[in-house]
Amino acid sequence: MTGVATGKLRVYIVLAGLGLLGALAFGRPELAALAAPFALFAALGLAFMSPVEIRALSELDLERQLEERHVNLLMEVAANRAVEHLELVLDLDEGLVAEAPNPILIHLSPGERRELEVPIRCARWGTYEVGNVVWRVRDPFGLFAYEGTLASRHWLKVYPHGETLQRLLRPLETQAFSGNQVARNRGEGIEFADLRPFTYGDRVRRVNWRATARRNEPWVNETHPERNSDIVIFLDTFAEARRADLGTLDIAVRAAASLAALYLREKDRVGLVSFGGVLNWLTVTSGTTQLYRIVDSLLDAEILLSYAWKDLDVIPPRTLPPRALVFAFSPLLDDRAVGSLLDLRARGFDLAVIELSPYSFVPEGDSELEQLAYRLWRLQRDALRTKYASLGVPIVEWREGVPMEAVVEEVRAFRRHARVVRA
Amino acid sequence: MLAAAALAAYPASQSLDLQWAALVFAAAGVLVFAAGLVFRSAGVLGLGLAAIGADYAILFVAEGGALDRYTPIYAAGLMLVAELGFWSIESRIPAWSEPAVAEWRLARIAGACIGAGVLAALALVAAATASGTGGLALESLGVVAVLGSLVLITVLVGRRSVG
Repeated sequence: MTGVATGKLRVYIVLAGLGLLGALAFGRPELAALAAPFALFAALGLAFMSPVEIRALSELDLERQLEERHVNLLMEVAANRAVEHLELVLDLDEGLVAEAPNPILIHLSPGERRELEVPIRCARWGTYEVGNVVWRVRDPFGLFAYEGTLASRHWLKVYPHGETLQRLLRPLETQAFSGNQVARNRGEGIEFADLRPFTYGDRVRRVNWRATARRNEPWVNETHPERNSDIVIFLDTFAEARRADLGTLDIAVRAAASLAALYLREKDRVGLVSFGGVLNWLTVTSGTTQLYRIVDSLLDAEILLSYAWKDLDVIPPRTLPPRALVFAFSPLLDDRAVGSLLDLRARGFDLAVIELSPYSFVPEGDSELEQLAYRLWRLQRDALRTKYASLGVPIVEWREGVPMEAVVEEVRAFRRHARVVRA
Repeated sequence: MLAAAALAAYPASQSLDLQWAALVFAAAGVLVFAAGLVFRSAGVLGLGLAAIGADYAILFVAEGGALDRYTPIYAAGLMLVAELGFWSIESRIPAWSEPAVAEWRLARIAGACIGAGVLAALALVAAATASGTGGLALESLGVVAVLGSLVLITVLVGRRSVG
């Protein structure tokens, strides 16, 4: 706590002094009568000055919440003496918005415990420290001000809200474990694949009796097995385009969390590579625990400026299992990320690049030169996109406001119609 | 501002020998006080209050003679102007305020003004009933006492700032 004398105290002392000196100089008691109240006011203020101690207990009703939902912070404020004028500011990080008045001015009677309830809207995903309060008290005479902070240290995790998808994008190849995805190869399963003549070892239940009757020899059904797949979410955290309320990283994190939840629900194994100033990864695993691991890891995702050159070699090999579908979210603003994605493709990974369009975050500029530079920049990006497409990498520009469903559908369409061109 | 202007107008509106000086101090007092409010400066505000007080002092310098019976009212008014002025420039943040805060504040200002009026009246009564001849020695002692008190208060203020 700190306490300081206000300017008012100094002014009152000076006024009292001037008045008293004037009274002596001119021999007029009226001036002393004018000065006396200021002198008495300052003297009373000094006599009754006592440091104040503010205590606050707080409680957060939820430790985890989704974006755009609310949590309630309950605070109980008390002081060691009566406080006429208590300013309280709930210090909230950017991304949390108090729905109740903040700051507030309250009056505390002696021994009073004031309960305050502050609904907080979780505006942006992230991990936040909630409950820190900054307070300021003025003494009854307004001559001293005391300030202090109260740390509460409640941690609130705000998870990104999920996007919905009707159909997930499927990898070109499946893994060995059972899952919900119909594999391309043939084996034990439910989905009909083909017919073939009976061979030694085939089960009788697989015999297709109609085909057998038509051909006068036993034929059996072949089926596709249901397998799981490996999905790696690749997050480019080298750079982002951002304005006050939204950035490309926000879009990427929301999409990544949604995809992770949806794929894990389908019994697939999901991993995460956050590739940027700080490398962060999670090897592919399935289950609800993995979902929490991924989302917690996404909450820590941030853009950290780094000049160190990084490529795929810094990523542990286990995080990129063979035959995995790599879902890359990138604004394609940093050469290191662009190069690494090309490297992934060169290594034969099934790659889908979601380009988080930075256009809505970058103004075109007013001058002719700025507009020319903007057009050149767009042309360069178009050329980069063409380069990816020519390598057989589905690349989709995700503009602000477009649902993820449309983006995934575009990737699916690319994969359906793309043909490798061989020179 | 209205209260400050009313206080400044009282001596300036009297027919005095030094009316021009009263007008100058009145105008300067009100303008400086307004500047203090605009720039939210306690020092400038204090200068304005001092100028308004000096305007009142001219009334006695020019007129001399009997005690001014309106001094308690003037003292209460000056306290009101000072309190409202410092309330106006108080560092604050846009905040929701519960009604009790403003009620307490207004009650305290009213109490301060009434107290100032009563104290000024008591000071005048004491001055009117005091007997004594005064003189250079006594006046010098008074000056030393005032200055000593100011220094003492200033030292106390400095020491009692809580760190």
